[in-house]
Amino acid sequence: MLGKGVVGGGGGTKAPKPSFVSYVRPEEIHTNEKEVTEKEVTLHLLPGEQLLCEASTVLKYVQEDSCQRGIYGKLVCTDFKIAFLGDDDSALDNDETQFKNKVIGENDITLHCVDQIYGVFDEKKKTLFGQLKKYPEKLIIHCKDLRVFHFCLRYTKEEEVKRIVSGIIHHTQAPKLLKRLFLFSYAAAAQNHAATDPRNHTVMFDTLKDWCWELERTKGSVKYKAVSVNEGYKVCERLPAYFVVPTPLPEEDLSRFQGHGIPLWCWSCHNGCALLKMSALPKKEQDDGLSQMQKSFLDGIYKTIHRPPYEIVKTEDLSSNFLSLQDIQTAYSKFKQLFLIDNSTEFWDTDIKWFSLLESSSWLDIIRRCLKKAIEITECLEAQNVNVLLLEENASDLCCLVSSLVQVMMDPHCRTRIGFQSLVQKEWIMGGHSFLDRCNHLRQSDKEEVPVFLLFLDCVWQLVHQHPPAFDFTETYLTVLSDSLYIPIFSTFFFNSPHQKDNVHQRQLSLPLTQSKSSPKRGFFREETDHLIKNLLGKRISKLINSSDELHDNLREFYDSWHSKPTDYHGLLLPHIEGPEIKVWAQRYLRWIPEAQILGGGRAATVSKLLEMMEEVERLQEKIDARPHGQGALLAEAPLLLRGSARLSALFPFALLQRHPSKPVLPTSGWKALGDEEDLAKREDEFVDLGDV
Amino acid sequence: VWWWKCGGGGRGQSFNIAPQKEEPEMGHSGPKCVQRTGMLEPRSQQLDGHVASGCLPGEQILAWAPGVRKGLEPELPGTLICTNLRVTFQPCGWQRSQETPLSSEYDFALVNIGRLEAVSGLSRVQLLRPGSPLKFIPEEILIHGRDFRLLRVAFEAGGLEPQAFQVTMAIVQARAQNSQVQQYAGIPLSKAGQSTGSRKPPVPLLETSEDWEAERKKQGARGWRVSTINERFDIATSLPRYFWVPKRTLDSEVRRAFGHFHQGRGPRLSWHHPGGSDLLRCGGFYTASDPNKEDIRAVESMLQAGHSDVVLVDTVDELPSLADVQLAHLRLRALCLPDSSAAEEKWLSALEGTRWLDYVRSCLRKASDISVLVTSRVRSVVLQERGDRDFNGLLSSLVQLLSVPEARTLLGFQSLVQREWVAAGHPFLTRLGVTGASEEAPVFLLFLDCVWQLLQQFPAEFEFSEFFLLALHDSARVPDTLTFLRDTPWERGKQGGQFNSYTQIYNPGCCQPPAGNSVNSQLSVWDWDLRYNSEQILQFHNPGYDPEHCPDSWLPRQQPSFMVPGPPSSVWLFSRGALTPLNQLCPWRDNPSLLAVSSRWLPRAAISSESLADQEWGLPSHWGACPLPPGLLLPGYLGPQIRLWRRCYLRGRPEVQKGLSAPTISGLQDELSHLQELLRKWTPRISPEDHSKKRDPNTILSQSR
Repeated sequence: MLGKGVVGGGGGTKAPKPSFVSYVRPEEIHTNEKEVTEKEVTLHLLPGEQLLCEASTVLKYVQEDSCQRGIYGKLVCTDFKIAFLGDDDSALDNDETQFKNKVIGENDITLHCVDQIYGVFDEKKKTLFGQLKKYPEKLIIHCKDLRVFHFCLRYTKEEEVKRIVSGIIHHTQAPKLLKRLFLFSYAAAAQNHAATDPRNHTVMFDTLKDWCWELERTKGSVKYKAVSVNEGYKVCERLPAYFVVPTPLPEEDLSRFQGHGIPLWCWSCHNGCALLKMSALPKKEQDDGLSQMQKSFLDGIYKTIHRPPYEIVKTEDLSSNFLSLQDIQTAYSKFKQLFLIDNSTEFWDTDIKWFSLLESSSWLDIIRRCLKKAIEITECLEAQNVNVLLLEENASDLCCLVSSLVQVMMDPHCRTRIGFQSLVQKEWIMGGHSFLDRCNHLRQSDKEEVPVFLLFLDCVWQLVHQHPPAFDFTETYLTVLSDSLYIPIFSTFFFNSPHQKDNVHQRQLSLPLTQSKSSPKRGFFREETDHLIKNLLGKRISKLINSSDELHDNLREFYDSWHSKPTDYHGLLLPHIEGPEIKVWAQRYLRWIPEAQILGGGRAATVSKLLEMMEEVERLQEKIDARPHGQGALLAEAPLLLRGSARLSALFPFALLQRHPSKPVLPTSGWKALGDEEDLAKREDEFVDLGDV
Repeated sequence: VWWWKCGGGGRGQSFNIAPQKEEPEMGHSGPKCVQRTGMLEPRSQQLDGHVASGCLPGEQILAWAPGVRKGLEPELPGTLICTNLRVTFQPCGWQRSQETPLSSEYDFALVNIGRLEAVSGLSRVQLLRPGSPLKFIPEEILIHGRDFRLLRVAFEAGGLEPQAFQVTMAIVQARAQNSQVQQYAGIPLSKAGQSTGSRKPPVPLLETSEDWEAERKKQGARGWRVSTINERFDIATSLPRYFWVPKRTLDSEVRRAFGHFHQGRGPRLSWHHPGGSDLLRCGGFYTASDPNKEDIRAVESMLQAGHSDVVLVDTVDELPSLADVQLAHLRLRALCLPDSSAAEEKWLSALEGTRWLDYVRSCLRKASDISVLVTSRVRSVVLQERGDRDFNGLLSSLVQLLSVPEARTLLGFQSLVQREWVAAGHPFLTRLGVTGASEEAPVFLLFLDCVWQLLQQFPAEFEFSEFFLLALHDSARVPDTLTFLRDTPWERGKQGGQFNSYTQIYNPGCCQPPAGNSVNSQLSVWDWDLRYNSEQILQFHNPGYDPEHCPDSWLPRQQPSFMVPGPPSSVWLFSRGALTPLNQLCPWRDNPSLLAVSSRWLPRAAISSESLADQEWGLPSHWGACPLPPGLLLPGYLGPQIRLWRRCYLRGRPEVQKGLSAPTISGLQDELSHLQELLRKWTPRISPEDHSKKRDPNTILSQSR
């Protein structure tokens, strides 16, 4: 019997709202009734939000067809978002308001969500940046959540065009200071309800108590201790104020190399094995004395953690034997192009080669490799009973990804919503993942922008998709979470480290931004050696795969034997990683493409069916529970949320899409040109001759 | 393929519908129907009585060997048996039920064997290929079914090796010698119902005019009647005995008109839309004929059948050719083999390279366009394909699935296939490659894939489940009933003696099974209990089916307002997603060779019209835009939406087999019925609503059968 808790995550889709930990809560600014009745649409500003510039009689194209239809309205730019206010408000119906995002409207783009801006000059599309000499007649905005907006400025006054275009470009693309983030104006203006919500049980890991609690929970407290040596960030600004290390480690060692070279505890397995991470010691050239010191220091550390009661330690060097951040960046930028569709025609043109385009982006392959790495580590912990030490230059990118994936797979607590949020808090926020740089929120360096966190969410999505009953949350939760990366009213994803966040808060935003953060990471992006790295890496990996057969045999056996048993959703969970099993996270990537909608069907239909059945199960259970109290206590039938509502599309619950019944033409004539038959010739006679035997 | 390469994978539940593990013990175990002839080797006497009891009339055991079925968890010990009809893996202690003479799980019809591999240590030999003798004693054999199933049996060591060798060679020989004869004759079944004669088939087989009349009434096609002109198959052997023609057309006119179509397959009604439009199908115009004015008038009146606007659809336009379909299917099978050479990271492009999904989507796209034309635009559509026996059936059934909620029920779907494929004369035998002829092309399997895509996209709209489609898919390779064993209704309709003489023509000199047992003429593929036990049949029902989409509530019966008066007799051609006006319906009036040249169709021109939507279609302005009628499904057919039917095609790769979200819904459904059952037990008086809400699978089954 499926318990309530197992599938309960379905409930998460009912009320889509930014559900991630928020230090400051968004307030409901406007009521829906007001909006419908008012003829002139007014701009709704969040507390602290300021209007910067605006332009009227802008035409927003309806993206779904190429016939250049659209709605007239006002385009405004505030210090929080770019918004389009349509003159014709009749499109809003009741269904739509039901699924409205509380902060971001349908035509709102937060400034951090803007990916690329293009201008169209005489039918030619050009990327816009810096100072413009000429102003475009059409503005195309690609968003990081993969929406695409087309604005026609032909009917707008020249003055206004200049102001709005340069305003938008400046505010979205010019490097920004941390203190200029909207976050702070919002925090100053809005009432701050910092984490007092009683429903919010997410463990924030910002107190010693939280870490101790986690140690107790995983029974790691025997061999590991939480330390407060970094309180006030005295030792190191990279590390959180509190963290966990092996018990015998002397405290003076912690401060020796600013926290480098220290094995930090991530998680303990039920058999006592632990997942540890360590940031590599800084490499100093031509200083033999120092490197000698480093060596002896490391030897000491290793000696400590190799001695019983500790298990054997296996070191996984993630910065040399695994993906590079650049691989991820390149793959994602290719991959997202598949979904940033300027017009339908373009879409249909690429559609015919969908699979090969998808494959050539190698994003799915990167996901597969991450999952495979996590399976490898899981195997070490679970089957071989060894500790695993993840090693990375700063222990803040792939370390976060791999260690949190392993925990999602091994620890059922991390598959609940609260547990997952605590996990993100522990591994990513306290783990010092540089969200500010990786999301490029300040527009300071495009090279640093790497969607590591998104990659993690996509890996988790594969697991959710393959084993839905094992998770308390649904894919919608993950999608909403990925969107909240770009909404600067939550402070969670807007800092490089807990130190930065605390410091900024304490000093009333008066600090000048320190540039020191970027220098240690420079090593990832050496322009001149980019192609070299890539090739070398490719070779190295293929060598790796071919070698160490024994390792792979073990791994395969572990993988096969797990998959041959019935799945225990409350135990260890492994993903399938074969070619056909790694899929596109359609909800996130395809939701804004009208052509990709299935009216009245698709996943939304399955989910709504599930919800319906769950409600019925609950209702019946209540009925049964109520029985001893009296026969007549028949409960009134709860109105079903989704039944009878308009046809659901894949956009649900993000919007209800009204789609025209007309269909564009798919150029299937492309087939003939595409394929050669000869590669199949061999295989073919293998089969054809069967008939003649 | 990184680390699977070396072993072929070792796990997985099978994707076949899970069989009942414990068969009830049958009272008798005597080998009642086994013909123990001299051909039996003495050692087969060692076979347990119950192993032999599963034999069919005329079946002879050629060889057997004890072995262990691998690739399943837990591994299953049993016996591998090769007979002259099939290869069977009989698990220890498993007894074949007399009611289900063929097992969907353990039987491989000889002709279904697509590839046979013998493995010993590291060497691996492919058999079934001319000149590939077996030079070693196999430790394991792998039988790859043409239906994508895999049977992997490891032989036991310890003195029984010669038996392993013998059974392997026996399979090779039996398949080589016997395939055609057996395939054409069919596996004879002794079904209790067969002898009684008056058994009501589970689905109307459309072999009587009553069936046709009942179906016509159900569709509400008032302007149509059942024509008996082909009762003796003298118009065309490939046509059914009965079909629907316009009411006011006389039989003589029908005869007159049909003569001018390829193979006599003139226009017949496929489906009548309650809004007033019709879906017709016909063969190509027979260009060499020289019709007179009367004939042309007859043809035109049949095509138009009372509609002012007729849209002619060139069926094969934008669809793959038969050879394309066959090639794509071969590639798909090659790709889905466990040792496929495609690496994990190249899987997607390899899949794309098969073209199979591409063909699936073009079928869906065309069907969705046509269903909008018929339902929303209320135009009569004539599907025209030269042979009228392949893609016409595919398109017309898909259109009906998209437009008619009734066709999405279990019964509705089965009668749809019976009508548009079986009765309409789809050459199953040839297309499934049974005869070994060159015209093999699994159009029907392509259709099933299309239906599966719809099922994926609209999980609440279909009463049947993926398992049902899988069962139908696999049945195409089981030679037990005549449904898939004949090319035309005429051949199918032949009884006993005639039938035997036919086989003699086909394969002279072959010994015949006794006449009484050879024909299962009264059984059809829809007699599921031949191959599936009742538990498996229960799984044919989609737990997610939403009864709110019940057939009655979808459309008002007649909607005269739909009919927009237009200019008289406008005729359109639908091609490449757009409509172009045609001067005339028939090609003969001005220029006799018009149809042969595709340039007779006007080039695709933008016709000015107010509505932008109509511009996409090239619709005339007076048609107007109509809202989509309720009950119409518009499938997605984009790259990301067309998916691989993994439960079907990847069955041979055990490591990829895994049911995903399916258990969630069915688990909930189980819990729901359990709770309802509890409530019902506890509450003595039940309100009628509660009763109707209860969805016990047994009730659904009994309703639909």
